[in-house]
Amino acid sequence: MRIAVVMKLVPDVVEELVLSEDGKRLERGDIALKANEFDEQALEQALLLKESSGAELTVIAAETGDVDEMLYTALAKGADRALKLVGDGLQDGIWNAQYAGILVDVIADVGADAVLTGVQANDDLDGQLATWLAAGLGWSFATVVSGVEAAGESLIAKKEFAGGLTANLRLPLPAVLGIQASPEPPRYAPISRVRQIMKTQSLEEREVTAPAGSITVLSLRPPEKTGGAEMIEGDVQAKAARIAEVLAQQGI
Amino acid sequence: MPTGTDLPVAQRAVFEGFQHSWLVPLFYVLATVALIIFFYGVYRRVGRYRAGKRATLVRGWPRRIARSLMEVLTSRRIGRRDRYTGVAHAFIFWAFGFLFLGTTTIFLDHDVLGLVAPSLEFWKGAFFLGFSVVMDVSAALFIIGLVMMAVRRAFFSTFRLSYRRVDGKQQDRSAYEREDWWFLGQLLLIGVTGLLLEAFRLIHDHPWFQGYSPVGLAVAKGFEALGMTAPSAGEAHFVTWWVHAFLALTFIAYIPYAKSVHMLASWANAAARDEKAAVVLPTQETGAQTIPLTPIAANLTWKQLLAVDACTKCGRCHEVCPARTSGAPLSPRDLVLDLREFLGGRRGTAAAAQGTLSAAATALRDDGSPLISADVLWSCTTCRACIEVCPVGIEHVPLIVGMRQTLVEEGEMDQNLAQALMNLGRKGNSFGQSERARAKWAEQAGVPIKDARTEHCEYLWFVGDFASYDPRAQRVSQSVARVLHHLGVDFGILFESERNAGNDARRIGEEGLFESLAEKNMKALSQASFDRIFTTDPHSYNTLKNEYPAYGLECEVLHYTQLLQRLAAEGKMQIVAPQDITVTYHDPCYLGRYNRVFDAPRELIRLTGATLLEMPRNREESFCCGAGGGRIFTGDSLYGEKPAESRIREAAGLHGIESFVVACPKDMAMYTDAAKTAGYEQQIAVEDVIFLIERALGIGAKTPEEVNA
Repeated sequence: MRIAVVMKLVPDVVEELVLSEDGKRLERGDIALKANEFDEQALEQALLLKESSGAELTVIAAETGDVDEMLYTALAKGADRALKLVGDGLQDGIWNAQYAGILVDVIADVGADAVLTGVQANDDLDGQLATWLAAGLGWSFATVVSGVEAAGESLIAKKEFAGGLTANLRLPLPAVLGIQASPEPPRYAPISRVRQIMKTQSLEEREVTAPAGSITVLSLRPPEKTGGAEMIEGDVQAKAARIAEVLAQQGI
Repeated sequence: MPTGTDLPVAQRAVFEGFQHSWLVPLFYVLATVALIIFFYGVYRRVGRYRAGKRATLVRGWPRRIARSLMEVLTSRRIGRRDRYTGVAHAFIFWAFGFLFLGTTTIFLDHDVLGLVAPSLEFWKGAFFLGFSVVMDVSAALFIIGLVMMAVRRAFFSTFRLSYRRVDGKQQDRSAYEREDWWFLGQLLLIGVTGLLLEAFRLIHDHPWFQGYSPVGLAVAKGFEALGMTAPSAGEAHFVTWWVHAFLALTFIAYIPYAKSVHMLASWANAAARDEKAAVVLPTQETGAQTIPLTPIAANLTWKQLLAVDACTKCGRCHEVCPARTSGAPLSPRDLVLDLREFLGGRRGTAAAAQGTLSAAATALRDDGSPLISADVLWSCTTCRACIEVCPVGIEHVPLIVGMRQTLVEEGEMDQNLAQALMNLGRKGNSFGQSERARAKWAEQAGVPIKDARTEHCEYLWFVGDFASYDPRAQRVSQSVARVLHHLGVDFGILFESERNAGNDARRIGEEGLFESLAEKNMKALSQASFDRIFTTDPHSYNTLKNEYPAYGLECEVLHYTQLLQRLAAEGKMQIVAPQDITVTYHDPCYLGRYNRVFDAPRELIRLTGATLLEMPRNREESFCCGAGGGRIFTGDSLYGEKPAESRIREAAGLHGIESFVVACPKDMAMYTDAAKTAGYEQQIAVEDVIFLIERALGIGAKTPEEVNA
C-alpha cells in the first residue's frame, strides 16, 4: 500500500490574528502558522498503518508558508518521502477546493492508493479538504474517522456517529479518509533526529499551479464580545440572594 | 606486674604450639590460594569496568583521593542522619583496619625481615607492647560494632533494610538477606575467634606483659574461673587458631565476590564521585550517552559500572526518594541493584563490549521486557536526594537521564509531556502560549522594566517560564520587579527574546531541545548588554550557572534571593514594617541541594522580622515538591500521594505556622495546589519570600490572605 498524507499550515490562534487593510483576509506576514492538528492525527494514523502493514508513506504539503519544519518532522517520525508543492500564489494561502485541484495530479504521480488528511482545519471556509479530494479523485471516501486498519485490498475505517453509534466501514482501495483522531496521540519527534534528518535528507519539490479560487470573501472580522458570565461573589447568603434575583429576572 | 630492666624482652612466637612441621607450610599454601582467588576476583571486576566506555573524570585526583579518604576514615557520610550506624561502622572499619595492619606487620616482621634481615625484626619490646594494646582494644571494638549492626538488622524495624520491591515485580531477594547475615556473621566469628585465641594463649603462657591485653586477659580470667587449665588452653588455642585462620582466609578470598567488595569498590567510587553529578549533565563532548533500558557493559561508562558494584544496599536512597515515598515504582536502590544483577554475568564482560556475545546473551531479559521500565524512569523528579544521601557516591540521576534519552528517542512518554516538549520546541515555553506574551506580566508590575536588548543594565533578569506565564508566579515576578525598583537596582529583561532555559528539557532526556534552547538564549544574551544575571527560577538558575558556561556564558549568575541578600548586607534594605508572623521555609531542590544556596532565603526571612521554624526535612534533606525533571508536565499518574501534599502536612505539623515560604515559581504553583487539596488552605498561606520582603519594606501592604486570594 502506498499512503499519501496531505498536510497544511493553518493560522496559529494562540498568537494574535492580524487582518489585512482591506479586511478580507489574514495578513499572512504578521500571523503565525502551524501544522493543522488534525493533519498531525492523520500522519500518526498513517505511521501506525505503516508499522502494522508495511505501507510506503509520502507526506505532501503546499508551500503556503514555511512548511519545511513540518515536513522534516514528518520524516523524523518515520515518513518515507516528503513532497513540497511550490508555485506562484501559494504563499498567500489557498482554498481547500484549489488545494484539492492541485493534489489530484500529484497523488496520481505519487502512486498513492490511500490518502489520509485531517478531518477539518480552522480555516476551512469552503468545506473540508478530504471531501474535495474524494470528489476530485473519484475514490471511495469516509470522513470523521477515528481508526483505520488495513484489510487486503481495502481499509476498515472506524467512524463515529451521533448518539454514540460506531460503525466499521470497509472501503475498497483507492480511498480517501478524513481523520478525526488517531488511536494513538501524535508521537514526539526528538529535535536531534529532526536536525539529523535536515542534514541527511532533502525535501522533494514539485512545481504546481493553483486553479482559480471559487469563493470570494467579502469581509473578515474578529468575533465580537456578546454578554458573558457573571461571577457571583460574597458569602452563602449573598450568593443565594443574587441567584434568586437572577432566576426571578429571567422568569424561570 | 613485674617491672624493671631484668624482664625478658616482650615478644611472642608466631605459630606458637604447632607440633607438626608440615602445618606451617600448609598455612602458607592456604594463604597463597586465598590471595590468588582474591586477586582473580579483583581482576574480573576490573575487567568489567574496562569493558565499559571511557569517561573523563574532572581533574583533581589528589583532592578526590583526600576527600574520599576523609569520608571513609570518618564514616561521615554513613553517620549522617544515622549516628548509631555511623558509630558501629566506624568501630568495625577502624578495628578492621588496625587488625589488618597488625597482621601485615607480623607478616613483614616474620616473613620478610625474618628471612632477609633477622637483625632488623622489630615486633618485640616496647613496640610489641603498644601493638598488643591496640590489637586487643581493636578486637573488642570490632565485636561491639558488629553486634551493634546485627542488633540493628535483627531488632530495629529499619524500613530501608527491607528489600521489598516497589514496582510490583515479584522477586525473591532472600539471597540478599543471607549474604548480609553471612557477611556480618563471618566477620563476627573472625573477631570472636581472634579474641578467644588471645585469651587461650594468655591462659597457657601467662607472660609478664599479659596486662597489655586487657580485654583478652578479662576473657582469660573468665575461662579460668570456669576451670580451664594451661594444657587444655593450649589445645583449644591450636584448634581455634585454625578455625580463625580458615575464616580469615576465606574472607579474604571472598572479598571481591560478595557484599565485602564494597571495601574496595565503594572507596574507589567515592574517589571517582563527581561533586557536580546531575548539576552539570555531560555533553556529547564529555561523554554524554544514551543508555538503553537494558544495558550491557558497553553502554555504560567504567565509572557507572564501578558505581553499581559500590552499592552496599544500605537503602538510604530508597528511604528518601520522593517517588518511592509517594508510591511510584521508582526506587533508586532497586535501579542500581537491577543493573548490578543484570550486568553481573556475561553482559558485563569485555565480550559484550566488543559485540562478540551472542544476541541472546546481550538482548533483553528472559521475558522480553526491558530491565528498567519506562514508568520507573518517568517517576524521577531529579531532586538529587539519592545522590546527596548515598554514602558511597553513586550518581543515580545521570543514569536515569541517560535512559530517558532512549525513551525520548523512541517517543515513549506521557502525552502531556510530549505536548510540553512540542510547546518548548515551537514557542520556547512549556505553556504553548505566544512568545510575544512572555513579558505581559511586566505591564501590571507597576514599575518600569528596562529592555536589556536596547539599554545597558547592571543585572539581566532571566525570568523563566513559570514566572512569566503562570498566573500565580506572575505575581511573584511583579513583586520582584517592585522590590528591586524600590531598592534602586538597575535591571532589565529580554522580553520575548527569552526562551525556557532548558534545564527541564535536558533532564527529561531531550538533549537536542536543550541545545536548541540554549543556543537561542545565548544568541539573545549575546545581543544584550549587562554585567550579571539573576533568575527567579532555581531550575533556570542551575542550568545558566552550571551548564551554560559550556555554551559560552561567562558572567556571574545569581538567584534573586542571593541578590537581595547582598543588598541587605550593604544595608540597603530598610525594614519599615516588621512581619510578626511564624513561617517555615521550603528549600527548592535546584537551589539548595543542587547549588547549596541555603542561607540567603533564610537570612531574608529573618530580616523581615518573621520567625522561621524549620521543618524536619530541611536544607540538604529538603523534600522535593514533585515538580522537577519534567514531572510537572506529566501529571500524577505514577504517584499515589502527591509529594507536595506530604510536604504541606509536614509544615502543618509545626506549631503556629502561618506561612509556607517558597523561593521558586514552580513551588508557588505546586504548594498553592497542595495546600488546597490537602485541606490546609485556610490554615497556611503559601507565599514567595519576596512577598514577605515587599510587605516589610512597606511597598505593598498585602497580607498573606490577600496574597493567596
